[in-house]
Amino acid sequence: MTNAIELLGISKSYGSVQALNNIHLTINDGEFFSLLGPSGSGKTTCLKIIAGFEGSQEGHVKLFNEDVTLVPPYKRDLNTVFQDYALFPHMSVRSNIGYSLRIKKVNLEEQNKRIDEILETVKLIGYDLRKPSELSGGQRQRVALARSLINKPKVLLLDEPLGALDLKLREQMQIELKNLQRKFNITFIYVTHDQQEALSMSDRIAVFNNGRVEQIDTPHNIYNKPKTSFVADFIGITTIFPKEDASQFNITKSFSIRPEFISIQSSSSSSSKDFKIKAKVTDIQYQGSFNKIIFESSFRNSLSVFQNTNNNENISYKIDQEYILEFDKKDITLLDD
Amino acid sequence: MINFIVNISDYFYRNKNFLFLLFLLPPLSWLGIIYLGSLLTFLSHSFFSLDGFTGKINYTFTLNTIFELFNSRANFDILIRTVGLALTVTFGSALIGFPIAYYMAKFTSPKVKIFFYIAIMLPLWSSYLVRVYSWKLILAKEGIINWFFGKLHLTWLLDKILSIPYIGGPSLSISYIGMFLVFTYIWLPFMILPIHASLERVPNSLINASLDLGASKRQTFYKVILPLALPGIAAGSIFTFSLTLGDYIIPYIIGTSKFFIGQAVYTHQGTAGNIPLAAAFSLVPIIVMIFYIKTAKKLGAFDAL
Amino acid sequence: MNMFKIILVIFFTFITVGLNAGPLTKLGKGEGNLNVVAWAGYLERGTTVAAFDWVTGFEKNTGCMVNIKTAGTSDEMVALMNEGGFDIVTASGDASLRLIAGETVQEINTDLIPSWNTIDPRLQDAAWHTVDGKHYGTPYMWGSNVLMYNTETFGDSAPDSWNVVFEEQNLPDGQSNKNRVQAFDGPIHIADAAMYLMYHQPELGIKDPYELTNDQYQASLNLLRQQRKLVGRYWHDAFMQIDDFTNEGFVASASWPFMVNLLVGAEQPIASVIPKEGATGWADTTMVHSEAANINCSYMWMEHQLSSNLQSDLGTWFGAVPSVPSKCGTGLMDPAAGIYPEGADACKINGIDNFDKIHFWRTPVSNCKTQDSCIPYYKWVTDYIAVLGGR
Repeated sequence: MTNAIELLGISKSYGSVQALNNIHLTINDGEFFSLLGPSGSGKTTCLKIIAGFEGSQEGHVKLFNEDVTLVPPYKRDLNTVFQDYALFPHMSVRSNIGYSLRIKKVNLEEQNKRIDEILETVKLIGYDLRKPSELSGGQRQRVALARSLINKPKVLLLDEPLGALDLKLREQMQIELKNLQRKFNITFIYVTHDQQEALSMSDRIAVFNNGRVEQIDTPHNIYNKPKTSFVADFIGITTIFPKEDASQFNITKSFSIRPEFISIQSSSSSSSKDFKIKAKVTDIQYQGSFNKIIFESSFRNSLSVFQNTNNNENISYKIDQEYILEFDKKDITLLDD
Repeated sequence: MINFIVNISDYFYRNKNFLFLLFLLPPLSWLGIIYLGSLLTFLSHSFFSLDGFTGKINYTFTLNTIFELFNSRANFDILIRTVGLALTVTFGSALIGFPIAYYMAKFTSPKVKIFFYIAIMLPLWSSYLVRVYSWKLILAKEGIINWFFGKLHLTWLLDKILSIPYIGGPSLSISYIGMFLVFTYIWLPFMILPIHASLERVPNSLINASLDLGASKRQTFYKVILPLALPGIAAGSIFTFSLTLGDYIIPYIIGTSKFFIGQAVYTHQGTAGNIPLAAAFSLVPIIVMIFYIKTAKKLGAFDAL
Repeated sequence: MNMFKIILVIFFTFITVGLNAGPLTKLGKGEGNLNVVAWAGYLERGTTVAAFDWVTGFEKNTGCMVNIKTAGTSDEMVALMNEGGFDIVTASGDASLRLIAGETVQEINTDLIPSWNTIDPRLQDAAWHTVDGKHYGTPYMWGSNVLMYNTETFGDSAPDSWNVVFEEQNLPDGQSNKNRVQAFDGPIHIADAAMYLMYHQPELGIKDPYELTNDQYQASLNLLRQQRKLVGRYWHDAFMQIDDFTNEGFVASASWPFMVNLLVGAEQPIASVIPKEGATGWADTTMVHSEAANINCSYMWMEHQLSSNLQSDLGTWFGAVPSVPSKCGTGLMDPAAGIYPEGADACKINGIDNFDKIHFWRTPVSNCKTQDSCIPYYKWVTDYIAVLGGR
């Protein structure tokens, strides 16, 4: 497998703020790779360094094994889809899409052919003479995609491209993005703070926190085998037992447990589960297909448990009532901290 | 009585347009009657003529005064001279103002930006006359610029510049070059601020997008930044152009005593009592500005204000 | 009671009509106020320099409080008077006739001014305030324009002709006068050219530089076109000319004694002369607004301006000549006051003997005395603008 992108020990700080701290990343060719993290975690800075809009103070960027650390953005064979789309407001959709072709002085016939092709791909036929201001959010998103894809770049960088869209449109675009990636068979580097988005689309995910990479892994492993408490906490809903609390279960490291692995018993009935905790209901949140029930125990953390609402044997829990929560040792994830 | 007041206030609440009209009536009538009324009365005089013998205004409709404006070489010279200088000053201001505005908008920290704002606005806090007068001293034969050229042993260069026909003269302050410098200095803030406003509204992501799509910095400037700053330049140029077109102080202090439209209006209506010709003269900047603003509007100047 | 009111109304109507029909016949009590439009420096109350005060005495004696509005140009004066609300104005000759023609000022009754007969006889019936034998004002102060020159450039040989500003030539310092001489940028400067031609080309038949036939007028314009090539910049404002002589290397120009005094005071190598062709000059007149609210105070002021220290002190202040010759050796014009040298005749220094050489500023009108018909002022304006523009 070829390496599309390699980041070797990238560090960057703005004044006294350390934005990126010794980042090492290898992204394979043709991979859908997500940079996931809360805002301010350094994921966008990392993308900008890959694109070349910003330099780094330390480290090297390699693009297909070639060091591009000092190469300006317009000479890097990759393209970016910006968070605000960054469509040129003074140009029509057609001119926006054809911008890079005009810069490269591709002949007019070829330009038109390729623009028409890509318009069809992103389903924008008939909109080509409009100005960006005359388009909806989703349409602008497609123009931005078309504009970056027309050049057939080897790598496409996407900076929270769906952030401004509503939920319905976002889900639809997620599917389309994935299809586009398969169709063009190019590397996507996708920045997002939405873990659901990252989990559903990516081949691999790098989780950023405070300018560091916490974990690089497949979505399955990120969810099920988080290595640090940050990752465990950030991805999905989970309950973390810090080291001090874990010792009561005879476990030497801190660990996390997902709500779906916890069961609720009304009294101390006979059960084969390894661990039992006494806890009081503090809140019940209706979530559609399930209820999210929040418990308070003698431990530091509140615990979340899911209860399927379609279950026929639905027990209605009462706030302030005490129950026994149970889970198995095999379902817990040990964390590194 | 209280009931009555309550009723009135209720009426106003239900008929907001009426209330609005009531508030707007005094300023609107001021604008309409006093301002526009007197302006139109004055301008309408351009269709009357001055009786050469009695020096009184002849109140019958005639186009002779307008013809006089364009037929007399001297009058026509004044129009060409004024419009020509206004265009040159506008061009010069844009050329000098753009880099400053660009630097302010894209490369400064907030603190430095405040410094720039103050530096640009500061001259506007002092009297216009004082500034023009100081420039007269700066540009004078015994002034600092001459002195500076002398110190650098470049007096020959200054002499060469001043010997350029038409725009040169015996000294910087007695030449079109001097007028250009002073006008450009005086109106520069009015060019920088709108350009800066329009550049501030160009997100950096657009510049990045252009670089990302393979355009060099130079190409990005010409294809993205400049077109998007154009409304600002057009807006600024409305100020510099119209202000230069109407100014009559600077030509009295700097330059070769050749008349500009403002002076012609002032002298004809004041000293000569030739109100029809003065009105015809003042018609010119208004017409020129109408065309200018129409063009500027097409360039989107009013989106940048 | 009602009858009394009616009589009162008729009485006042009669007075008002009487005012419009002719000058005031009887002086009443002062109204307590006097609103004046004047040149800067013309009404001093000791606030600029303590010794120069000819207003507070008037206020003390008559109870008329003086409110001054200064004007910078004759046009501004005319405009202010047309606006109304003022009682008197110190108008120059190029404004006075316009004010009379526009009926903005009223005829005055010289009998109500006891000192009228002390006025210089040469001024009593001067054309710029007397129309058809009617007086429209009281002479205030007069002076002459001068040829100001740089003594370093001209050395011992003071210029004796205006030709240094009209004709291209080498000045005594060996350099050309091109771009080193100035002229006034007001159209009234055409009269200076006409005056020059009156001396040098008698065949043109110019009798009065303010009354020009078309041929005379065209000849004057041609002279000015020739002058345009010598003059880099015309002067417009007294202080700007001072600056030009200090910083721009100008060495000769038609000017006012005012600037000469200031430049000499600043130790610049400047002197002035009235050349052999004569000079133009200004003679100002106090005129009363036709709707003056404070008519009695206005008459009291006109008497004051003739009989008090005003004439001598203002003459000193401005380098001008009093309209009342008997005031020449008095007040600040008395060498004892320490301003003029011992034994000097202040009025002589300020040019009282030049009266006949001076052609006082007047507004040119078509209907003139010395010629059949003359070029009116509005033409002067248009054509002078053209001359300045190089046409």
